[in-house]
Amino acid sequence: MNQRIREISELDRVIHEPGRLMIIALLSAVERADFLYLQHETGMNKGTLSSHISRLEEAGYLDVEKTYRGKVPLTVLHLTDAGRAAFEHYRRKLKDAL
Amino acid sequence: MDQLETLRKRPIAYYNVDGVGELGVGFLCLGYALLQWLQISTSQHSIWNQMYTLFLYVGLMVAVIHYGSKAIKEHITYPRTGFVEYRCRETFWFPMAIAVFVSIVTASVLFTAIRRHWNLNTPASLLGLVLAAAYAYGFARTVGWKWIVAIVIAAGSLVFAFLPAEVLGAVADHSWVTRYAHASLAGAILFTMLLYGTALLISGGISFWLYLRHTHPPDPDER
Repeated sequence: MNQRIREISELDRVIHEPGRLMIIALLSAVERADFLYLQHETGMNKGTLSSHISRLEEAGYLDVEKTYRGKVPLTVLHLTDAGRAAFEHYRRKLKDAL
Repeated sequence: MDQLETLRKRPIAYYNVDGVGELGVGFLCLGYALLQWLQISTSQHSIWNQMYTLFLYVGLMVAVIHYGSKAIKEHITYPRTGFVEYRCRETFWFPMAIAVFVSIVTASVLFTAIRRHWNLNTPASLLGLVLAAAYAYGFARTVGWKWIVAIVIAAGSLVFAFLPAEVLGAVADHSWVTRYAHASLAGAILFTMLLYGTALLISGGISFWLYLRHTHPPDPDER
């Protein structure tokens, strides 16, 4: 039991927050995706999604690229190698804890 | 944990959110059925029975599907519900490995069957049950009404499997192919391709229509 509690307490707090977990899980399955796709899949509003993305970017888990498609601004996101490794580590830890 | 895995599968399911995946496969099946009909209804030495025609035809169909899907995604899907770029492992190497494996097995079985004059019309038709199961696993699990398509494919395959050989073979009865294979085998493949193609094209078309109806591009200022 103590072992389980310790494993849960060792989970990466940046990833463990539900909103950020959704973002990182979706991005882990693709090469890149844009802001609109994440908004569509997670159902979060623009402000909440932006703040989660900023937190993940600060942690070095996400790269954010601002670009254009035609005249429309486009925010493209992809997981960094550190982000992928952290997510894999988180999944393993969570599996062990459960 | 299961919810996390479900979430990770959503981007793959997103590829067919607009029905484009099904439209592509349906177009491929109907295109192949048309080519097969041309092959069995013309002489053995006609242009439709040349190897280069097969490569050109398949190449043309693949190009139309590839560039057509790309155009729909870029002009309709990405502006409405977002852009996704897939990892090559999921969208290229894995499907390619499956396609190569299935092609080798199918070609080997057909080659052996033709040489030994096996009657393969029933197994060829029953292959639809495998496709129906794959379709149910890939699409119907996430979109309820697509169970109807899976049932139509399965039921149609069963009907073809139990049709008398002379009914299935009627389409190729006087064709040169009967020198190499049963006319019923050619008929079974042709009808099966027609069934898959029509079912997938209709299903993809309905998905596309529903997608257009329920999604709208966001205001440019909101992006």
